[in-house]
Amino acid sequence: MSSGYPPQSPAVAKTEVPLDGECPLLAATFAYWDNILGPRVRHIWAPRVDQSLLLSDGEITFLANHTLNGEILRSAECGAVDVKFFVLAEKGVIIVSLIFDGELKGDKNTCALSIILPQTELAFYLPLHAICVERFQHVIRKGRIWMQKGYNIISVLSSEILPIMELLASMKTHRVQEDIDIRDTVLNDDDIGDSCHEDFLHKAISSHLQTCGCSMVVGSNPDKVNKMVRTLCLFLTPSERKCSRLCKADSSFKYETGLFVQGLLKDSTGSFVLPFRQVLYSPYPTTHIDVDINTVKQMPPCQEHTYNQRRYMRSELSALWRAVSEDDIAPDMIIHTDEGFTPDLNIFQDVMHRDTLVKSFIDEVFMLKPSLSLRSTYVTQFLLLIHRKALTLLKYIEDETQKGKKPFRSLRSLKADLDLAVDGDLSIVMALAEKLRAGLHSFVFGVPCYTSAQDRDVHMSF
Amino acid sequence: MIGSPDVVALTREDENGEANADPLALPDEFSVPLYPHANSNPWAKTSYAKFTKDFILISEFSEQVGPQPLLTIPDDPTVCGTFDLNYFSLRIMSVDYQASFVGHPPGSGYPRLSFVEDSRVVLGDSKEGAFAYVHHLTLYDLEARGFVRPFCMAYVSADERKIMMQFEELSQRFSQASECLKTGNRRAFAKELQRKLQDLEYTRLVLRKEEGLQREAAPPGIYSSQVVEKANELANVEKSIYEHRDLLRQISSYPGRPRRDPQDLLEKYATLDHALRPDGPGAAGRAWGRRASYTPQLIKAKSPKCFDKRLKTLSELSESRFHAATLDLLRGTERLFSGDLCYQYSRRLDRALRRKQQATNFLFEEDPGEDVGGDGVTARPACALSHAGDGPWPPRPPPIVLCPLALELDALRPPGPLDPAAGGGPLRPGRSRPESSPSDRTPETSEDTKCSFSSERSAEGPGRQSTSEGTETTGGEDEAENGGDRTPASPQGAPALQTDLEAALGQMDAACCMAQDAFLYEGSLGDAASDAGLDGPPATVVSQEPQASPALQGAYAVGPPQAEPPAVGLGGGAADDGSDRTVSASAGSDRAGSPPCYGGGVTLRQRKRAGQGALRFVRQYPFALQALWCLLSGRTLVVLGSDEARVRRMVSALALFVPGPGPRGERVQAWLSCTPSLADLHRWKLIGLQRLASPLGSSGLHSLTRYSRYLSVLDADQKTLRCPPYRGTLLANMADHRTSLRRGSTYFLHVQSALGGLASKAFLLAFTHHLHLPVGPGEGPEAVEARRRGFLQEQLGLGPQDGQVLLYLSGLVTQHYLGPPPDAAPPAFSFGYTASLLYKI
Repeated sequence: MSSGYPPQSPAVAKTEVPLDGECPLLAATFAYWDNILGPRVRHIWAPRVDQSLLLSDGEITFLANHTLNGEILRSAECGAVDVKFFVLAEKGVIIVSLIFDGELKGDKNTCALSIILPQTELAFYLPLHAICVERFQHVIRKGRIWMQKGYNIISVLSSEILPIMELLASMKTHRVQEDIDIRDTVLNDDDIGDSCHEDFLHKAISSHLQTCGCSMVVGSNPDKVNKMVRTLCLFLTPSERKCSRLCKADSSFKYETGLFVQGLLKDSTGSFVLPFRQVLYSPYPTTHIDVDINTVKQMPPCQEHTYNQRRYMRSELSALWRAVSEDDIAPDMIIHTDEGFTPDLNIFQDVMHRDTLVKSFIDEVFMLKPSLSLRSTYVTQFLLLIHRKALTLLKYIEDETQKGKKPFRSLRSLKADLDLAVDGDLSIVMALAEKLRAGLHSFVFGVPCYTSAQDRDVHMSF
Repeated sequence: MIGSPDVVALTREDENGEANADPLALPDEFSVPLYPHANSNPWAKTSYAKFTKDFILISEFSEQVGPQPLLTIPDDPTVCGTFDLNYFSLRIMSVDYQASFVGHPPGSGYPRLSFVEDSRVVLGDSKEGAFAYVHHLTLYDLEARGFVRPFCMAYVSADERKIMMQFEELSQRFSQASECLKTGNRRAFAKELQRKLQDLEYTRLVLRKEEGLQREAAPPGIYSSQVVEKANELANVEKSIYEHRDLLRQISSYPGRPRRDPQDLLEKYATLDHALRPDGPGAAGRAWGRRASYTPQLIKAKSPKCFDKRLKTLSELSESRFHAATLDLLRGTERLFSGDLCYQYSRRLDRALRRKQQATNFLFEEDPGEDVGGDGVTARPACALSHAGDGPWPPRPPPIVLCPLALELDALRPPGPLDPAAGGGPLRPGRSRPESSPSDRTPETSEDTKCSFSSERSAEGPGRQSTSEGTETTGGEDEAENGGDRTPASPQGAPALQTDLEAALGQMDAACCMAQDAFLYEGSLGDAASDAGLDGPPATVVSQEPQASPALQGAYAVGPPQAEPPAVGLGGGAADDGSDRTVSASAGSDRAGSPPCYGGGVTLRQRKRAGQGALRFVRQYPFALQALWCLLSGRTLVVLGSDEARVRRMVSALALFVPGPGPRGERVQAWLSCTPSLADLHRWKLIGLQRLASPLGSSGLHSLTRYSRYLSVLDADQKTLRCPPYRGTLLANMADHRTSLRRGSTYFLHVQSALGGLASKAFLLAFTHHLHLPVGPGEGPEAVEARRRGFLQEQLGLGPQDGQVLLYLSGLVTQHYLGPPPDAAPPAFSFGYTASLLYKI
């Protein structure tokens, strides 16, 4: 970066975030469009690492101002959060900006929450973009309420910016590699029972696939946890693997919303406390796998998960809206119950649907000699099979409903025609199809009162 | 497990998710919708865009009129609809993302050109429902303010996710187009500078003469105002000459500048250099080295005012060939990325997975390294970069100049007498473009090595070993077209894969060799397996792991999207039956007749069309299951009929189920008008045979009857099938005539999935060692056979006839993996004693 940028305004506040290890993030900024002065930076968050900060405040201010340039023409709907993504080769940085409107000092202003990364981190960041944006969007929703009430938005934004910095730093060191060596997984064992019990492995993989490849693996032994993490990652696409994280050997990471597979180490008491909100805000339902006691639990299917998630979000925002003072509710620590509804904290339930797809795969893959590429090839064939089944299912529904114009009423025929009579098989294929076509579960199974394909079948039989 | 501090308040909501009319209720603008997907329809458009499909927009920030749209790709007003291009151009061009100094830097006497990097921005207008990948670039123009003209190329879509998910691919495509345009611009700019220099030098010459005349006319020692004015004018011209020489020096030094772009795109483009050569067939290429003549003009002292001058158009700013190539690249990009993200992503995933299972791809898949398939609608820009531009493909782009522009640097010499030759031909390709090294040249671009599908095939004697099973190495149109994979855009090319696979296949151990002997005695394993059932040939053993080559290990990477090759040379009507390339074999020429072109020789689109035929067949014929079983268990099926079109359609549909049809569909003969010989029955697994009313025809039928022990006959006229009965369950789901599947393309996906499952099981059977080798020294072949039988029945739950299918397929896998035996005996027919039945509708 060249010098010569204008000095930052003395009014710009700055938070330096101490982080362990390398943080790919250069800075995060909150800027707004001042009706008189134009784009202004209000707050800067910068990681404090061993080396000196890579960007000067002036450079950060220059870049942050850049993100708001042109937004004077913004004509978005009220409440919309638009995302802008810059790769400025001339400056050697990438900037992700979320543009939204908010009330500052009684005026409606266009605001931007931005993160700045070096351009060399483009490949690292891109797979994580959706996670970061999703999380920022929600914190902005909360921040807008705070601004509307005249409170300080910075504390709200900090509640997500700091965890995002930690997430990126942890992904830098513990991200699962795109290419997984099958020798690092359970599938390379000589026999199925060598490192985990047969049914446990079957249930783990089956549930992992039923929850769209979204799982958390907890345990006390980091090697064991990571072996299972890598095993589950075999069933993900390369870009999904880049959104997965191994567990740390010495201490535990925090649970992070949005990762596909993450390994989490239990504490000395043998427990791991999961944050309810973060788990619920995951884009897909999650499978909980405990490698210490060989248990597999899963969250409800996609349509229920999405419904619960949305209700929870609305409730959280409502609670903020009802707050009477800034100190009443800290944005990241809402402790309040309402007479209307108490969330079901027991969101992880036993795996209900047994399948034949994974069962036969597990039975067969161990027949092939380990330590060769035979099993890798067989895993690939299995993935191809279920992906094609998902695509076929999607096309089937598309044909039947004329691309969603008509309701889907032929689940029974679908099961017969596509050989998906077993509920677990249907769940796996539906989960894969959901990733290809978001909202498929809700469309097929309707409102969340239908909790499973079985219920839906019962309903359809009447 | 759940942290209690996170228990959150939930307001009471009714079932529809609408808040009560509570004054403290959260306003909608601060809330989130309960159902994130519009109308709960996953196929609904994510926004309410006013355009009908994705398009590319090129805009400019004009110094005269501000941001303005220049052109759209496709150039069809219906695509953009009522979408306001002016407003959108204003939005995407309203910020100078390449902010960098141009003009006179402090302390510098001459203007400096600034070589700025392109910027890439993704932004959207949620109200308009338009999202765009915007690629900002700067072109040089001698007439423009600061000599720069800011442009941008934007890919506009209604799907924001699509743009972000394919950001890298979009960026790569647009960077290519931008580099192409900018290269042409630099050349045009340099040419313009040279002409301007000639004009200036000519002007200086004229002014000097005029000044001399005026000085002579004036009394000595006295300078008139005209003389002073002329002297000033001359000084200005000389200053201008120095400035322009400096600019020319700067622009000619462009490629040597340090690159800040980490992608280092220019290195990639170096390999594209072979795309168009000066001695190529194109007239443009021949014109490359031609030195254009130019007559210098006298420059008037006063240039027109800023707003009087006409700014150059985009086509004038860049050399025409580069401009045309850029537009072709963009057209290819638009075709490549338009369409549903879901299916684009699936195709890429499918292809990436297929690349990792080379051992079984030959059974039912097209080669992922070649034909990536597709609907044929989308084109392959990579091909446009490096392959023959015939047919629907856009012409090749000009080479990207990597070395310093070979300008006529004599123009940079100190001022001297006017050299008329200085104005011509500033850019010589021989010097401006580096010679491409042999490694830069891909095989498909060389005429010598370019493979083409031959429609001729030499006759094979009846006793000759059939060589059609995987030994045909002649490439075809698709192979040539799909060589785009070998371009930098898709580095994992087919040749590398092929080499790796060959290397992998070349490694055999003793067990494999031992197993190889089985082929010597058994000849066609498939036939033997199909007819003899489980008592067929001893299964061969593969103890060498497949895909041993480390280069294949990392192949499971979803690379940039690959467009599909067009169905070159396929007529619309002919494509329907999928056998258009087959020349009808007459009675006298069938031995030299063309091979059928099914399997790897057809596009995925044609296979999907064949899926429609297959679905029709399954629904129409209750005995379709038996026919499918014949094909999948290796028993030759003859489709007999008098109507060529109908027979061809049937063959085309059934060809989907022929295992290992060969790279060019050698195992399928769509139409034969003479009696097949025994060798033909070995060579072809699916034959369309003409029914003749003549005595010759009756003899043909007679020979079919004679061979009925070895083959099945489907009579398209009588609608009957004669074959052994099938009572298994393995294939039931593929040929259920009561299926609710409506569309051929969906049925094709279903079949593809089911056949993939079979291939997977065959792989398991072929590579499960203990099923083929004695466990102990005392164990004989019977015990091994019993174990194999037990595996099929107990482990896989298959009956004898289903087992036959897997044995045949696994035999093919083994044979394919080991390669053809070097000294194989002629194939021998085997048969079973199961009587054939006649099935009727």
